[in-house]
Amino acid sequence: MDHEIYILIVEDELEVMDAIVNDLSEFEDHFPIETANTAEEAQSVVDQIYHANNEVGLILCDHVLPGKNGVDFLIELQSHDLARNSKKVLVTGQAGLEDTIQAINKARLDHYIAKPWTKEQLDSVVKEQLTNYVIDRKYNPMEFMAILDSVKLAESMRANPLTDN
Amino acid sequence: MQKGFLLNSRVDILKFINKVISDTPDLQKLVVSFNEKEVLFKQGENLPYLYLLLEGGVKLNRENDDGSSLDILTLEPGHFVGLVSFNTGNDSLTTAVALKPIKALRFSQDDFDEYLNNHPRLRHPMQQLMMSNMTDRLMGNVQLESKMHALNQKLEDEGEQLKIAYSKLEDSQQKLVHQEKMATLGELVAGFAHEVNNPAAALLRSSEMLKENFLDLPSGDPRSRIFEIGLNSSPLSSEMVRKRMLEVQKKFPYVKERSIIRKLAQIPEEGHEVIIDQRKKTPIEILVQQFEAGKFIHNIKVASERIANLVKSLKSYSRQDNNEAEMIDLRDGINDTILILSHRLKYLDMEVKMDEIPKTCARLGELNQVWTNILVNACDVLPDGGKLKIRTKTEGEYKIVVSISDNGPGIPDDVLPRIFEPNFTTKNQGAQFGLGLGLAISNEIIRHHGGFIRASNRENGGAKFEIILPVKNC
Amino acid sequence: MKINRKQIIGSTVGILGLIIPFFLNINGLSEAGHVTLGVFFLAAAFWMLEPVPIYATSMLVIFLQVVLLSKEGLFFHSVTDSYTPDSYTAFIGTLANPIIILFLGGFILADAAVKYSLDRNITRILLKPFGTSPKFIVLGLMVVTAVLSGFMSNTATTAMMMTVILPIIARVKNNDPLRIGLALSIPFAANIGGIATPIGTPPNAVVLGALNQQGITIAFGEWMVLAVPLVVVALLMAWFILTQMFKAQTDHVEIDMSGRFNTSKNAILLYVVFGITVLLWITEKAHGMKSAIIALIPVVFLTMTKVITKDDIRKLPWEVLWLVAGGLSLGISMKSTGLAEWIIGSISWSSFGPLLIIIMFGSVCLLIANFLSHTVTATLIVPLAVSLATSGLATEGFDLVIVSIVIGISASLAMMLPISTPPNAIAMSTGTIETSQMAKAGITIGLLSLVLVILNAVFYWPIIL
Repeated sequence: MDHEIYILIVEDELEVMDAIVNDLSEFEDHFPIETANTAEEAQSVVDQIYHANNEVGLILCDHVLPGKNGVDFLIELQSHDLARNSKKVLVTGQAGLEDTIQAINKARLDHYIAKPWTKEQLDSVVKEQLTNYVIDRKYNPMEFMAILDSVKLAESMRANPLTDN
Repeated sequence: MQKGFLLNSRVDILKFINKVISDTPDLQKLVVSFNEKEVLFKQGENLPYLYLLLEGGVKLNRENDDGSSLDILTLEPGHFVGLVSFNTGNDSLTTAVALKPIKALRFSQDDFDEYLNNHPRLRHPMQQLMMSNMTDRLMGNVQLESKMHALNQKLEDEGEQLKIAYSKLEDSQQKLVHQEKMATLGELVAGFAHEVNNPAAALLRSSEMLKENFLDLPSGDPRSRIFEIGLNSSPLSSEMVRKRMLEVQKKFPYVKERSIIRKLAQIPEEGHEVIIDQRKKTPIEILVQQFEAGKFIHNIKVASERIANLVKSLKSYSRQDNNEAEMIDLRDGINDTILILSHRLKYLDMEVKMDEIPKTCARLGELNQVWTNILVNACDVLPDGGKLKIRTKTEGEYKIVVSISDNGPGIPDDVLPRIFEPNFTTKNQGAQFGLGLGLAISNEIIRHHGGFIRASNRENGGAKFEIILPVKNC
Repeated sequence: MKINRKQIIGSTVGILGLIIPFFLNINGLSEAGHVTLGVFFLAAAFWMLEPVPIYATSMLVIFLQVVLLSKEGLFFHSVTDSYTPDSYTAFIGTLANPIIILFLGGFILADAAVKYSLDRNITRILLKPFGTSPKFIVLGLMVVTAVLSGFMSNTATTAMMMTVILPIIARVKNNDPLRIGLALSIPFAANIGGIATPIGTPPNAVVLGALNQQGITIAFGEWMVLAVPLVVVALLMAWFILTQMFKAQTDHVEIDMSGRFNTSKNAILLYVVFGITVLLWITEKAHGMKSAIIALIPVVFLTMTKVITKDDIRKLPWEVLWLVAGGLSLGISMKSTGLAEWIIGSISWSSFGPLLIIIMFGSVCLLIANFLSHTVTATLIVPLAVSLATSGLATEGFDLVIVSIVIGISASLAMMLPISTPPNAIAMSTGTIETSQMAKAGITIGLLSLVLVILNAVFYWPIIL
């Protein structure tokens, strides 16, 4: 890859952020992690990432945030030219049915993780979503076989005519 | 005949008429008698006769459309019976029944004309009797009218009272429901608190023991030093982490993994010194891990303390059952309420400045409802990021003032005077926080405490609520 | 697009290589030969250093030849003593060379097979008899992979087989060498299996195409008769080496492959067309219909019946066809301008016996193909063999067909490094193996297989041809 695929975590509680980041640290060598404590900060981080010609592969977003809430932030991202392709996961201890429906319909939410989470759960969701992202974006699956869902990636290679040369 | 009155009394006239009857055989022919309960005429009949009652009594009653019967008049000797119908030619409005055996003169139309106009002896007494009858009836009418008026008045008063009673009933029913709600909540919280406090305590204790286990290294070991640094460090904001990551990359150019750089960024300067100091001796990963261990134990401690505090607040907040007045610091209740409502207040820009205030005798649980009502109202009207200020101060020696103000749309002028009225709401009746009955109840609670609450609009926009409570001992 | 140093060097060397011969005056080389030398340098530099994708280099090669060397191009409008220019149609016509059409048929079949999961179902059926012992599971996987890669691309076969073995690897203990054995068995078997049929892998096409230009045709079945025994022995050898190098600790492996044959109308149609086509290819000798013509059967019938749709056609690996066509096109000029002859002439071949020539071509090819694309290696080396044969410089006993096949097959045997072949890269990317392990096994198997190739070339193939 000639550019980086970032994981963005939006969470206002610093201890919780710390825990998520640590749970995902094994992804960090392939997918650098960026963090933001508010939706506004997240917005500017997203812009910076794309400005540096990198991209955001996955956004893990809390719902209850000071200022703009997580679902609204995700909905806004849908109008972002590039970040609309990012996989979006809501990680929250509290979001009403309304909010969740909104997030699914308007922000094309890809997954919902209820707090408290387990590392296995978080790992598998992140793996799955990043795998989907890489396949959707038609990146060379081989670069991600060792860290993401290798069977799914191999399957995507099978379906796309691969050639010897 | 008595002087001074235009009319002779009915009894005198009757005496005279009786005398004339005994003198005049023609008249005697007109005398009829009825037994008790005998009917003289019925309602709706056309009356060919007019009776002049000589002895006994007659009751006039009228049957209403709904079948009920109404007594209209009781006629005594000297009264004409059937006067209205006889004079107007209309059907009788009433039924005449003998109350006791009666004697009466029965006039046909011709007879009556004759006696009233031409009879030399009877003409005057008859005319006088006519007049007297008319006057009686008129007087009765006037009395009736005024009686009716009084009755109406009474009716109206009673209706008003009923209304008040009803609204009071409704009020107290709402209060009952509310109390019930709070009681249920209290029970729920008590159970919940017990269940949550146990694991929270276990967490807290475990983190302490973990700490001791980790510190069980020879003193001066860099690992235990960096562990202790970890124990005392709090997580940094993401912006800070970004900034420090850039610094760390310069400071530790030999570290390549981003995850390690991120972890290093969280370590304070003194930790970096230990790491640089140990570069040749202890691998950086081990020291970072040691720091992380300390930090995580710190996080566990902070988080479990938060759980314990939250439970404590919830418990004291919902203390409705034990609603005894006691000496309390108002600020405790306000802080509890802020904590309980933090999921909503989080979106606001809060400024809390609470001056030292003396304790006062109050019911904590009730006051919490007041704070909740006002804060929830503020959350409802304020946009995300709206400003909310909470202040406490003393005024003189005996007054505590709590003011809660915002920079929201303020209270409309037409609403302001009624804002503390029961059942007054500007928001849709719906699932709100569910603990407040609105400002009316707040008003009442404060009044019970001997204080008062007032709402106003601030000059530069936004609403302001002030609660003034007296300082007193229980 | 970021440009790295390798790309800058590649571009510079390539462009210099194209220009310099214009200013040289080499004795015994025609003017057109100089131009062709430039194109050859450029193509070699671009193919080796890849400043642009290798298929793009092939397109560039065809373009340069049409512009610089064709009768309708810029320079050579008439016939001279030293050069008889070809019409531009000869260069662009390589795109419709019979071998290209044969490959197109293979692509369509393979694409349809994947679309209707025929590959997976064949795997399921073929794996069954191999039981649960790790050794035989590995053998089974290798056999299946080799069979499939004979008809599908090695890379696609490897990707599909990865979906089969990755769950097994996940269940095997972390330190069990079986994991490495499994991960290596697939790409190696795919590389070896590709040799088995003409459509197995592009180097075969390069060889067959070049021979075709010389008027030599090898029938589909004939190639298989030549190659399959070699493939079988090489495969068994590779299996033996892998299972010895990476001895399994566990004694029981479960393969969980459930599924059933797709029985939709389209799928059944595909099975029939697939069967008929392969049968006709193998029996070419009996009916005499050329394999390229037979290849049109799946092309026509699968598209007419919409088993293969417009979208499927768009997804075909057209760039491989361009890659092969570019090579064939370069071969035309190298021969017609006398360049190949000149290169060949600079070595005194008479001192080499036929065996030595075979060994030399085979080893050079195996070595280069480890670092370059197999197809490119074959493309660069096959014209030399062709020239050697046609120039009459070679010793007696030199057989162009055998040397060409040696070149093609040796190229396929290069599987030492992750970059050697895409199947190797896929296996490597799973993170279960290390480069050193791949290199150790790859060199051993590659060299021993080369010995097998040489033995075949000396003792077996002359009997058949």
